Amino acid sequence: MAEQPSLELAPSTRVTGVMAADGTETPHPRAIHRGSHPTAPSRGPEEGKAPQLLSRRSSMLSTLAGPPGSRRSSLGAAPGGKRPSVGPWLLHSRVSFSGLPLFQPIPETHLENTYRMRPEEGCRFNAGRVQRVLEGGLAGVLGGTTYSPQSSTVLVQSLAELLRGQAKEVVPPRYKLVCHVLLGQHRQQSMLVASQALWDPESDSFASASFSNASLFAVATVHGVYFE
Amino acid sequence: FVFCCCNSSYLKILDCCSKTCIESVLGKADYNHNKVNQWTAAIVEQSLTHLVKLGKTYKYIVTCAVMQRSGAGLHTASSCFWDTTTDGTCTVRWENRTMNCIVNVFAVAIIL
Repeated sequence: MAEQPSLELAPSTRVTGVMAADGTETPHPRAIHRGSHPTAPSRGPEEGKAPQLLSRRSSMLSTLAGPPGSRRSSLGAAPGGKRPSVGPWLLHSRVSFSGLPLFQPIPETHLENTYRMRPEEGCRFNAGRVQRVLEGGLAGVLGGTTYSPQSSTVLVQSLAELLRGQAKEVVPPRYKLVCHVLLGQHRQQSMLVASQALWDPESDSFASASFSNASLFAVATVHGVYFE
Repeated sequence: FVFCCCNSSYLKILDCCSKTCIESVLGKADYNHNKVNQWTAAIVEQSLTHLVKLGKTYKYIVTCAVMQRSGAGLHTASSCFWDTTTDGTCTVRWENRTMNCIVNVFAVAIIL
């Protein structure tokens, strides 16, 4: 499982190594601007630009307190990567930016791998409990309602969200829920609802409940899928 | 890699899978109370087989509702608690002279 990412990373690191080696001989356009070599490359249109940038670089470096060698190498090594913080640069009045505020990049939080592939003991989807919740929810909402085409659209959507919320409270964490509600007019027609799933039967399950009165019927199903 | 289920082309594939399954099972048949059990089972099973052949790392839930056409109204809704960037759903409505059929496919991603 963990091997694939490392295989894919390996070629990319090799590529950057090749790029750096080529930078000295056939320079990448970016490498020209950030290159630490004082000699200009043998490219015609770039020659006019290179000395100007080098002179600007020297003026910027003179205002920095840190050693210029280390700063140059860090910029050259990661042309597309994160830049060093611009905090110390703003202290010096000689450096001017276009006026846009520069913020520190927000550090991304990387969650650690829990290495858990199955739900804990006793923390599985309890089908009986969820079924009781569904029955209670359906009876509570539809107890005294009559079918009407206009209001049933909104009713069924709110019922689906309500039942999903109620089921979420009784279902253990790390479970994804799919709540499906069918609501129809009661007119002596025949109907069948079936479902089948491709999942892990040890950790995933479902619960369903139905309700009917004189004017309408409803079928609610909640499928719980364990999220590894 | 996680295949993004919000990709519309993948949802279209799910759509086509379900439609072909319904057509092959129900086709031109009229509603028959004795056969509706095996019809729904066949639709759901064929849909799942087609979805497995796509070869993506997803868990699938397929629901099928077949109703006799008698002028009664029918509404269906679903609410899901999942990762919206990787999981998705597809609904297919089919009808003929004597019955309505609604097939829902829910695809839940497995992170490897």
